[in-house]
Amino acid sequence: MAEAKERTGKRVMVAIEEHECSHYALEWTLLNLKPTISSPLLLITVQPFSPFTYVAAASYAAPPQELIQSMQEHQKQAALALLENAKEICAKHGVDVETITEMGEPKEVICQVAEKRNVELLVMGNHGRGAVERFFLGSVSNYCVHNAKCPVLVVKQDSGKKN
Amino acid sequence: MEEVTATEAMEGAGVGPELAEATTAEKKGFKVVVAVDDSEISHYALSWAIEYVLANRRNDCQLVVLHVQHSVETFMYPVAGHAVYAPTLSMDAVRKAHEENSKRVISRAVDICKSKHVDALTAVAEGDPKDAICEAAEKLHADLLVVGSRGLGMIKRAFLGSVSDYLAHHAKCPVLIVKPPKGSHK
Repeated sequence: MAEAKERTGKRVMVAIEEHECSHYALEWTLLNLKPTISSPLLLITVQPFSPFTYVAAASYAAPPQELIQSMQEHQKQAALALLENAKEICAKHGVDVETITEMGEPKEVICQVAEKRNVELLVMGNHGRGAVERFFLGSVSNYCVHNAKCPVLVVKQDSGKKN
Repeated sequence: MEEVTATEAMEGAGVGPELAEATTAEKKGFKVVVAVDDSEISHYALSWAIEYVLANRRNDCQLVVLHVQHSVETFMYPVAGHAVYAPTLSMDAVRKAHEENSKRVISRAVDICKSKHVDALTAVAEGDPKDAICEAAEKLHADLLVVGSRGLGMIKRAFLGSVSDYLAHHAKCPVLIVKPPKGSHK
């Protein structure tokens, strides 16, 4: 029985990041692709290492230990809050989730985890930073489109979509 | 089951008005446009879309198979000379060949749909594939655009340009890029 259920769905992973667009992507997926998703839906968030290099530079390469630790804590809290939010959204749609938190370079980690966990569909929002947000893919989405070995769904947040 | 639960779910989730609107439009049909050409990967993408996107929702999903026909160039470049206007006869012949090709591609796609018991609309556009697919998806009010991608390596992509890459950047609707299954040639 459980095996039959697995067969009709695909293992789907949604990349959650700070931007609103990844929540839009998650909601779009839940609304439109629910039958495609086989339980549980994977949610991944990746904390980048980068802030620490700035801290090191600002403190003349000798950042106090407490500062690093508190930043790490803060980042972890932020990531957990994002995931909680995403979990709530999924719960409202009646979808089971499994959350994954990793640290590292987001684009690489997302692709690595997708391969490791045999993900069959990767969903991301577009992160367009900069003025013409609607027309550009952020570097994370772009990297994943090119490098992920599985199908990738890019959901753009389009204000004023249906005309 | 679908409609009532979806609305309740939407209200419960506090979904923003634009998404709610897009989803009520869904009741009129969730339109999936699949771009096909001669390649194996686009037919794989079509099968993938039918099996996993349309899945159990055949009733409110509409599938459109889109093929972009090569446009006929009006100039020819003979090996040793300047560009010349192509004679009308050869242009017609080329155009006819392109049309035959399109018919073949479309009918193969339609066969795939039929074998999975899906009614599909077909559309043929002409011109540069990247722009044509984008425009067509917009005109058709696609809710989802599906394309296959062979994943040409970095360098080839820089020079040849990748249709799926362009679409991921420029299409106005969500784009699903289907890669070849693991264990195939790449």
